[in-house]
Amino acid sequence: MLEIKHTLCPVCSVGCGINVVLNDGDIVGTFPYKRHPVNAGKNCLNGRNSIECYKNKFQSAIVSNSEEDLDKAIADVSKEIKSADSSKVTVICSGNECIEEIEAIKNFAESNGFNLALYADDLANFDEVASYDEVADACKVFVIGDLLYENPLIGRRIVHAKQNGAQIYALVKAEKSVTGNIADECFNGSVDEFLSNNDFDESSVIVFNQIDSPEDLDKINALNCKKLPVFSKPNTKGALSIIDSKSKEELTELLDNTKLLLVFNDDIVEDIDFDFSKISKIISFATCKNNTTEISDIIIPIKTWLEKDGSFVNAMGDAQTFNAVVESDVLSEVEIIDKLNG
Amino acid sequence: MSYVLAKSQNDDIHKAGECGGAVTSILKYLLDEGLVDGVLAISPCDDVYDGVPTFVTDSEDLMKTAGSYHCAPTMFGDLVQKYLFDKKIALTAKPCDMRAIEELITRHKVSRDNLYIIGLNCGGTVPPVRGRKMIDLFYEADPDDVVSEEIDKGQFIIELADGSEEAVKIHDLEKEGYGRRKNCQRCDVKIPRKANLACGNWGAEDGWTFIEINDEKGQELIDGAKKAGLLETKSPADAAVEGRSKVEGIMIKMAKNSQKASFPLVNEMDDWNRCISCYACRDVCPICWCFENCELNKSYFKDEANIPPTPIAFQGVRLSHMSFSCCDCGQCDDVCPMDIPVSLIFDKLQKKYFERTGYVAGVSDDIKPPLYSPEKTEL
Repeated sequence: MLEIKHTLCPVCSVGCGINVVLNDGDIVGTFPYKRHPVNAGKNCLNGRNSIECYKNKFQSAIVSNSEEDLDKAIADVSKEIKSADSSKVTVICSGNECIEEIEAIKNFAESNGFNLALYADDLANFDEVASYDEVADACKVFVIGDLLYENPLIGRRIVHAKQNGAQIYALVKAEKSVTGNIADECFNGSVDEFLSNNDFDESSVIVFNQIDSPEDLDKINALNCKKLPVFSKPNTKGALSIIDSKSKEELTELLDNTKLLLVFNDDIVEDIDFDFSKISKIISFATCKNNTTEISDIIIPIKTWLEKDGSFVNAMGDAQTFNAVVESDVLSEVEIIDKLNG
Repeated sequence: MSYVLAKSQNDDIHKAGECGGAVTSILKYLLDEGLVDGVLAISPCDDVYDGVPTFVTDSEDLMKTAGSYHCAPTMFGDLVQKYLFDKKIALTAKPCDMRAIEELITRHKVSRDNLYIIGLNCGGTVPPVRGRKMIDLFYEADPDDVVSEEIDKGQFIIELADGSEEAVKIHDLEKEGYGRRKNCQRCDVKIPRKANLACGNWGAEDGWTFIEINDEKGQELIDGAKKAGLLETKSPADAAVEGRSKVEGIMIKMAKNSQKASFPLVNEMDDWNRCISCYACRDVCPICWCFENCELNKSYFKDEANIPPTPIAFQGVRLSHMSFSCCDCGQCDDVCPMDIPVSLIFDKLQKKYFERTGYVAGVSDDIKPPLYSPEKTEL
């Protein structure tokens, strides 16, 4: 039977709604969720393709590149954890997790004395951030990164700001960018130069999804304007309220000292330029194949966001709940952690 | 073609229906008699602004689809062709739904034999998020307190939980950039006459639905629902027929005025500069049915560095493929992350095609789609 169910897009931190189409219980497509206040039925290509992770999800646990019984694989993970020096174990948590899972992962790491790491695109959690409506209503919008292309449903608010008469100033490093196409002024220098060479005031908003260095964040934080950092994962802002993030440099240092790496629902290999062959054992808790699972010794399948209830905090700080759209007998990360804790 | 006034014989349906519950009763008849596998209609999910396509297989569940939802600008054409093409179904269809389905029938993507189509007259739809903002700005009401809404006598009327009503002229709302979607404002097909039945409240007495019976299948539906004790009918007075015709005429006149006002030159539009080549407009289009085989997926059209895509390479391909069949449903506008008014261009080309050939997408009687008709290939 045909059904259409509401959920959230898991692709980035904008927090768009998306409808999923089910036919006889199978997820077969997406459908515009026009009532959703963030995106009004508009989704980018990545958002519409997000259901692919369900279609391509791991069907079984994998140990040393071979399919393995789940209980046996979890027992293998448990054995690895127990035999490891806890100071050499690093747990990677990510903004792909919902709030409830992040808390469980944090407790798991802390109770076992493991290192805990979260990578947040080198961005940070500001106490106050601009709402999407404030972006649209700003007199001046300063943009760092190709927001229109990479986070289109915030990019749309920048378009609205321009249509409302705002001036748009864009720092985009690519030769061509969509944000550059609509900007009144384009810059291609450093973030530091961009911040130094422009006048920010209370009617301004700065929207950014990248920076050059941690010092840039301090300078942005000191600006007399509203700020909106936009993360690459749906719940990085929520995760940052629970776990402090690490920069690429800090992560590299931590990985240098790691013998056992536990990666929860993340693709750290994609994010960090590091020689992961230096780590003795890598265990991934993942929904489907990614660069990290490709080099993992053990892969434990976990529920996709379509199979679980949870909540994400979007870039402007709104906590949004979602419910499973399909039933699943795959274990959640919380259930797996319970098993690992014995 | 003939007319009838109808209302439900079932008290609950009569009460829940927008104007007498005739549509819900006919759908119940189809399900109860086993004439269809299911019914595709709209039902509100979280609130009245959240109309979601719902496939009902048990007539007990039809009540949730009763009533009309003007803040639900959905499209059934692609749902039918993608997921329900092999089932016998009944569906409610706005004129644009009907036009899309008609175009899909001519392309053999949907079989007319599998469908019972209960058309719904339509004065236009309002985008739900913008609709809530509109109520917040122009009405003395909290959008959350609205329990139903309707478009009648040129007004957008809301009913609140306490039973009170508020109305604002649509013209005034649209002057401020609110009200109906732009494509609805310029749409001049208000009654879906390709449907088996076309239902609505125009010309009807309170508590009755005015139904235009468009074909034999439609007549069988009315006769069957009456025989099953679900529907009561009577003939409309001449004044009612005239009244309905007058409403339709006014709506079409408003649309024609809007068409004149809405057409900037393409080369004066800078909107295309913000295209992110996400293909949402193509993927949502009920007429585009090539899916994975779409030429635009071929490697020679995939140039990631070419942002924005050259309009002639992207929209040009789509325009040449299907603009003649554009039913101006506005879905492409609705889903565009960059708010590019895509439908404006497609509808404009369809209207140019109409000027040359007389073909109105999803309305004309041609049995083959545009460009397949021998007399049109010369164009």
